Amino acid sequence: MYILKRFGLMFALMFVLAAGFGCSSKTVDTGTVPPEETPVATDELEAAEKNAIATITDGKVYFAFDRYDIAPEYKAMLNEKAELLKQFPNLFVRIEGNCDDRGTQEYNLALGERRARAVYEYLLALGVPADQMDTISFGKERPAVLGNNEEAWAQNRRDEFVVTVKN
Amino acid sequence: MTAYEKTQQRNGWLLCAATMAMAALFLITAPFSAMAAPMQTIDIYGPSQRIVTVAMADPLGENGQNAPQMGTELNTLIRENLRFLPFIRIIDNKILGGTRLAGYTTPNIDFKRFELAGADLLITAGWVAPDTVQLRVFETLGGSLVVGRAYTDVEPDTLVQVADKFCSELMRVLTGRGEFFLSTLAFVKNEGENRNLWTVRPTGRNLKKLTNMNGIAMSPSWSSDARFIIFSHINKTSHALGVWDRRTGQTQRVKFPGNTVIGPTFMPDNKVAVSLAQHGYPNIYLLNHSFKRERVLEDSGGIDVSPSFDAKASKMAFTSSRLGNPHVFLKDMATGQVRRISQSGTYNTEPSISPDGTLVAFSRMTDQGFRIFVYDVLTGEERQISNGPGRDEQPSFAPDSYFLAFVSNRSGKKQIYLTTRHGGEARLVPTGKGEVFFPAWGNFADWGKSAK
Repeated sequence: MYILKRFGLMFALMFVLAAGFGCSSKTVDTGTVPPEETPVATDELEAAEKNAIATITDGKVYFAFDRYDIAPEYKAMLNEKAELLKQFPNLFVRIEGNCDDRGTQEYNLALGERRARAVYEYLLALGVPADQMDTISFGKERPAVLGNNEEAWAQNRRDEFVVTVKN
Repeated sequence: MTAYEKTQQRNGWLLCAATMAMAALFLITAPFSAMAAPMQTIDIYGPSQRIVTVAMADPLGENGQNAPQMGTELNTLIRENLRFLPFIRIIDNKILGGTRLAGYTTPNIDFKRFELAGADLLITAGWVAPDTVQLRVFETLGGSLVVGRAYTDVEPDTLVQVADKFCSELMRVLTGRGEFFLSTLAFVKNEGENRNLWTVRPTGRNLKKLTNMNGIAMSPSWSSDARFIIFSHINKTSHALGVWDRRTGQTQRVKFPGNTVIGPTFMPDNKVAVSLAQHGYPNIYLLNHSFKRERVLEDSGGIDVSPSFDAKASKMAFTSSRLGNPHVFLKDMATGQVRRISQSGTYNTEPSISPDGTLVAFSRMTDQGFRIFVYDVLTGEERQISNGPGRDEQPSFAPDSYFLAFVSNRSGKKQIYLTTRHGGEARLVPTGKGEVFFPAWGNFADWGKSAK
């Protein structure tokens, strides 16, 4: 699923880039931009932005119990999010840290903050501007799934990404 | 200048006004005869509590006549109150000869029948007028007066207040502390997607909703003058310090850089200790009376949360992950020395230090679930004081350093229970539908309508 999304995004980006080059070549040839082609390019950019939003939003980072270090398998996904955020500076991402139900509420609120902050710092190190990101912890208060077993707990120890478009 | 700051400035003369008001109240409910030094004293802080057996006589009017209807209701309320005290046993249904007396005071009291039934103390109620009651407590052996109080202008709406004041006085005479019946619990109740602040008397009376906000309230804490309750408030985009003002009923949200506000607690001088994430990880800050950051109280580079202070703010208990797992630490505020006090387990959180500074209660994750433990600051020993089943957490010491409230899901949903520093049977505090969290004691008795 994740790989399909990545390919989908790559095709979308290639299409946008190809459209962009097309526009450039026509501009060189005629010295003017055909007015009827502009909406097409805008639509494609919007589509690419939508894909970027979907990609940044979809991939979650999961953590071990009482840990906030980012496991290596999430680095590639975060690298991709970083590139998209740099490519679309009008996007703003809120990183939401969450915990499973086993711990206590105040400590989990702090742990969720550390989890959100860990990803924030990682993206910052990759060059994502600070004004494109913030963090919030919901601790154990907003579980993704209900259940009192390791499967449910593992799905709840997570960072989620909420993207908005800056005006 | 905010309402909160103005309050701080007014605290001085408010204290004077409160003292005068208390003095006026004292005149109305003053003891009406000299009290003998009670023989039936109880050390509620010692290792073994003595049980005092109490009998209640039927309420009487003047000259042995029947009391008004309120008399029976008041006796019922007093009985309900006294059942919250683990060191009192009521035996009023087992008196040979009955509980109807010839009079409500000496020499018209037959103490012998109560003494023979095993009662240590006898409570009498004399309604000297339709709206005036005299409440007395005698020792059955010798008949000496232990407590004597008169209450005027009594109405059905103020009977609870009379019962609470009288029981507070009785507990104070027996143990030295009577705050239990003059306090109110703040807590958080789950209502769909939102959680708001509520209050209830520890006896389960006067359940009241305080806030109506979208989002999640957590960790309420009363100011020492009981005018304000601060709490964490989390909506979809931000954390804030919620400040509820009892005088206006209004709430304000105060945001901080780092978008993190965890476990705020009022200190005795009404300053605030709270975990903020100014530098990217939650540490404990001291806020001044304008909720501006004054200085860092604890910064380990890990997680530092849940500060709790004794009544003099000489010690701060808190949770820290500085050694890897969450543990409870105790800081001497004068020297700055910090020591770890939870030695067992790998997950110890939610400390609540007793106002007298002698015990720290906290929750520990055990193989059976979370349980409440208390650590003795002087001896370094710890004891488990709750036994589930289910999950026991969020202990909160009462102002008397004797009672504790905590949250347990032993009934299937999270509810508030009372126990004592010695443990023992846990007693449910009814809070209606919905799961509840974070009990916090306030030195304030909310009776609704006020009586004289």
